Amino acid sequence: MARLGLPALRRSTPVRLAAFLVALFACVSLLSFGVTYLVIRNRLETGMRADLEQTMAGFSAAPSASALAALIANQGAVTDPSQRILTYLAPNGQVFGNVALSRGPEGFLYIDLGPNPTGARRDYLGLAGNFFGGQLIVAANRAPVTALATTFLDVLLASLLPTIVIAIGGGLYLARRSRARVDRIVATLDRLSSGDLSARVVPMPGAHDLAAIGEGVNRLAVRQEAATEALRQVSADIAHDLKTPIQRLAVQLDRLAAADGMPEAGAALAGEAREEASRIVATFQSLLQIAQIEGGSPKARFAPVDLAEVARTFAEIYEPAADDAGQSLTLHLPGGPVTVQGDRSLLGQALANLIENALRHTPPGSRITVTLHGGAQPVLEVADTGPGIPAAERQNVLRRLYRLERSRTTPGSGLGLALVAAIADLHGAALTLDDAAPGLVVRLAFGRADSAP
Amino acid sequence: MRILVVEDDRTTADYISEGLRQEGHAVDALAQGREALVRATTEDYDVLVVDRMLPGLDGLSLVKALRAARVATPVLFLTSLGGVDDRIEGLNAGGDDYLVKPFAFGELSARVAALARRPRMQEAVTELVAGDLRMDLLARRVTRSGQEIDLLPREFALLEQLLRRKGRVLTRTMLLESVWDIRFDPQTNVVETHVSRLRAKIDKPFETELIKTVRGAGYRIEG
Repeated sequence: MARLGLPALRRSTPVRLAAFLVALFACVSLLSFGVTYLVIRNRLETGMRADLEQTMAGFSAAPSASALAALIANQGAVTDPSQRILTYLAPNGQVFGNVALSRGPEGFLYIDLGPNPTGARRDYLGLAGNFFGGQLIVAANRAPVTALATTFLDVLLASLLPTIVIAIGGGLYLARRSRARVDRIVATLDRLSSGDLSARVVPMPGAHDLAAIGEGVNRLAVRQEAATEALRQVSADIAHDLKTPIQRLAVQLDRLAAADGMPEAGAALAGEAREEASRIVATFQSLLQIAQIEGGSPKARFAPVDLAEVARTFAEIYEPAADDAGQSLTLHLPGGPVTVQGDRSLLGQALANLIENALRHTPPGSRITVTLHGGAQPVLEVADTGPGIPAAERQNVLRRLYRLERSRTTPGSGLGLALVAAIADLHGAALTLDDAAPGLVVRLAFGRADSAP
Repeated sequence: MRILVVEDDRTTADYISEGLRQEGHAVDALAQGREALVRATTEDYDVLVVDRMLPGLDGLSLVKALRAARVATPVLFLTSLGGVDDRIEGLNAGGDDYLVKPFAFGELSARVAALARRPRMQEAVTELVAGDLRMDLLARRVTRSGQEIDLLPREFALLEQLLRRKGRVLTRTMLLESVWDIRFDPQTNVVETHVSRLRAKIDKPFETELIKTVRGAGYRIEG
């Protein structure tokens, strides 16, 4: 089972679900806490304002400035300035009360004592009113309001943090559990698609959705395996039942050709018939091979293959044959090796078929070029300067046994390109036919070199 | 040589046995896997020719049983199945070579000969000689009548294969397998063109022809 790394965690559905729910819950909690805090604080401040107004109203009953000043001086002497401030700024500039403040506009104001460069503390809520040419300022400490904010923050942390931790922990636990199950299913699917049809998902306890998917995968695998086995059996039966008589036919033709008193013409005919028998077998062998490749079983044998080495080998093999036919075969390779995951024998056969097609369907004097482009997505192409294939026919030639009207007289089984298409598909490579202007270019474009196709 | 042919199809079995007898071999033919197992473990053969599909004990199990009983006689499998998987399966079971039906007799005969005389141990040869032709495997030089011949690497490999099996026939498919590691039949006569290139260099400029074409079979280099 794969360890659950951080990137894998981020992709895991339960973790994402848990994170989303935690975020949602946190938002809702913050919103409701915020609103409650604002309402309570507002009430507290309203109460303080009413209290200040009442206090102010009490002092305003004084008959004169000097009486008010005396009253404030007396009251101020017995009032703790850290709780409540009482100040009267007399018209002559004299200050009475427990704290010395300067005059400002009338109405409610915030007051800070001591140095306060930002003015953000707001230690006191005050009320200023003008009486007898002077100004009376009463203020109350806002500590209860500040304490309220601290209390709310404490409650918020104490309730929200554990919720988040528990939710994320639960999400992780669920993620690991379901991840292990998903991993089992994915591993089985990987093995199935790489040709190991005996792979099955281990049954999971319970009737959850992943168990249902696992069972579905297993049902599919059983059917696929049965179908492949049936195909293999049929192929083997056909191979045996058809090839044994063909072998006898070949044997008898060989004997006929070598029989005493056989005229030369007869021996030649027997030889030709023998060749025909071989061609029947070749066609039929190709059909069986295409079926096998499409069944996917060769994937189990995949190993790193150097396409440059394959291209070099086959260009070399066919070069003299091209030369003898008055054609030329040239090879263009990138500097180093070009590695893909695949089956060397099948890739070689695909390239051989493409080169043979080019040799067979182009007139003397034609140039055939095998080119390999390296890089992360290698492309192997075979181009010729022959008559090419009309655009409308290009898809058809990939079909089994399909032959262009003009090719019916040239040798070949009509299976060459179909086999190349099957091999390309097995390797996750795209097979395309294009106009080489003039001629035909067939390209095999491979996927990423380091990943299994 | 003593050869045991295990093949259930009478026509094919007769044809193989007759052909091998004409070449001077002593041939026993059996149609059953079980009988063959008894015979091959009690008597001494040089080569076994075994069909993969046999009634009763099939060819694959027969060879596995023989190898388990420490019978090391070389085995040539005959088969109707031509897939790569089938070939690998056959070689893994202990087979030494693999021939897909239908085959020409020449192919069978050449492969039987190659198996029987396969050297038990690879001697350290540094020079191969055929007539006045000498191949120095260390310096990778070829001379004929003292005259140096310039060969391309694959021409050298082709000639080396022929020289190593001097006097014996090498078929086209055997050459494709040993020189290019190719195990399918190209539709084009690629081996012929390479042999003719080689002949142009080592035979044409000289009086005698070293590389002989064996009709219906392949090529042979004469000593």
